[in-house]
Amino acid sequence: MRIRVVHRTSYRYDTPATGVIQMLRLTPRNHDGQYVINWRIDVSADCRLNQHEDAFGNLCHSFTAEGPLSELVVSVEGEVETRNTNAVMTGAIERFPPSLFLRETPLTTADDAIRDFAAATRAETGDDGLKLLHEMLARLHADITFDPDPTHTATTASEAFVLKRGVCQDLSHIFVAAARSVGIPARYISGHFHRDDGVTDQDAGHAWAEAFVPSLGWVGFDATNGICATDAHVRIAVGLDYLGAAPVRGTRYGGSGETLSVNVLVNQTQHQSQS
Amino acid sequence: MLSRTADNLYWLARYVERAEYLARILEVTQRLATLPIAYGGETNEWESAVATAGCTGAFSTQYSEANEETVTEFLCFSTANPSSIRNCFELARTNARAVRTALTMEMWDAINGTWLQLKRFGNGPTSREEFMRFLRWVQEASLRFDGRAYRTMLRNDAYWFSRLGLYQERADNTARILDVKFHLLLPTNERIGGPLDYFQWAAILRSVSALTAYHWVYKESVKPWLIADLLILKDEMPRSLASCYGNLVQNLDYIAQAYGRQGPAQRQARAIRTRLQNRRMEEIFQQGLHEFIGEFISSNNRLDSAITEQYLM
Repeated sequence: MRIRVVHRTSYRYDTPATGVIQMLRLTPRNHDGQYVINWRIDVSADCRLNQHEDAFGNLCHSFTAEGPLSELVVSVEGEVETRNTNAVMTGAIERFPPSLFLRETPLTTADDAIRDFAAATRAETGDDGLKLLHEMLARLHADITFDPDPTHTATTASEAFVLKRGVCQDLSHIFVAAARSVGIPARYISGHFHRDDGVTDQDAGHAWAEAFVPSLGWVGFDATNGICATDAHVRIAVGLDYLGAAPVRGTRYGGSGETLSVNVLVNQTQHQSQS
Repeated sequence: MLSRTADNLYWLARYVERAEYLARILEVTQRLATLPIAYGGETNEWESAVATAGCTGAFSTQYSEANEETVTEFLCFSTANPSSIRNCFELARTNARAVRTALTMEMWDAINGTWLQLKRFGNGPTSREEFMRFLRWVQEASLRFDGRAYRTMLRNDAYWFSRLGLYQERADNTARILDVKFHLLLPTNERIGGPLDYFQWAAILRSVSALTAYHWVYKESVKPWLIADLLILKDEMPRSLASCYGNLVQNLDYIAQAYGRQGPAQRQARAIRTRLQNRRMEEIFQQGLHEFIGEFISSNNRLDSAITEQYLM
């Protein structure tokens, strides 16, 4: 599938900021199921984008913009060709052994409720990792309602699990926390999702999780949609949790009254038949 | 476009590229062979030239010994060797003639002119100077053809298929040099820094015209692992495997977009490109340079058959 992504993050400051520093994880990399045809990052202020690779192999860009800035827009545009690999992730950059992804982070600490949930699921499905993960995926998808209102970017897995509500970020955190609590390495993936219901304008990027199954390798699980990763998923960054894979992180000097708006457009550019 | 036409364009570019490559390795071999034996060591450079050209088997059935005379004859002028320079130009012209209307006037002139001039060299050069002149001329002929194609062809499927042939052949050639010379590039090589190594390493770089490029990129003296890095992973080096695959993927993508469908060739090319992008040289050395190159050559051949099956027949 050829997917075109346009992702705009715009900041508006009531009192202009004197300076802004940001770190962007907005650039996808190739793996066996995904090929980046072209990709461009534009920042509305004059600055220099420095590219580097973080420890997980994500492509990062950082910049410092000098103010006064009453507005700052970071826009990304590109095309990616994807292929369905049945959710198995191969050919990606792996800098660490899977066991590193058993680490808990503040956002993905499993409390008793999540631990019980994972243990109860395991009691039913047995020790078969893949079956267990699929069952957790189905249950989380059924139990937790998608609702952007009650949670925010700093909501932890356990808070969202109590609320039974959340966005893709929360669902992924819960999934990751639950998998780790039963000894399955899992990680947080940020990216984009092409919806097949014709909705192309989205308010945010997408997120899902990958879990390590010894016989297959890393497998993508999208709890928000209740499916495994498909060719509709454009994979951008990997991390232990949202903070490690966040599309934009940064800070500003001076200024106040910041309003942030994110607009993502994901569509299919052209129908190509596969032979 | 007819598959036949695509096939002719693909092979036309491949044969011209191959002729240039043979001329390059012969030039380098000539240079190494003229070094005093103390520098050149025990190795027979002419034998390794035949190996790099990938025709050791055919050579040994016809000649008993590899020396300047037999190898020059075999790789340049022999009619019995299907990929001698003479046969490459011969076949390139046959392919060009079959698709005369798909080429521009300039391209046809270049290829036909080369073919006519080839007769002037007869059955072999009379002196070493003349042989060097011949090798220069072969490289010039390829540059002329390539430049004319680049400047005059419409950017449509005809152009893309000819690029595919060119980059496919180029990737194969670079990989073959690495395959024959890999033992010189291993970091465990104990005799590092000796004059023999320096000339051998410089010869590898010269055979892909990268000696100057090397110094631009690394700003260091010639080191074997950096040579491997330059020829395998460096995107900015036009004859590196990474760069060839960048171009292959792009041209295959143009074809896919123009035809509105894609298949195994695109998928395979992207997979190989991804592998080259996501690897680091340390990892390649750890897993074995020779294994890596061997695997690359066979996956490159698989891509060739995928392209052939999908478009050329």
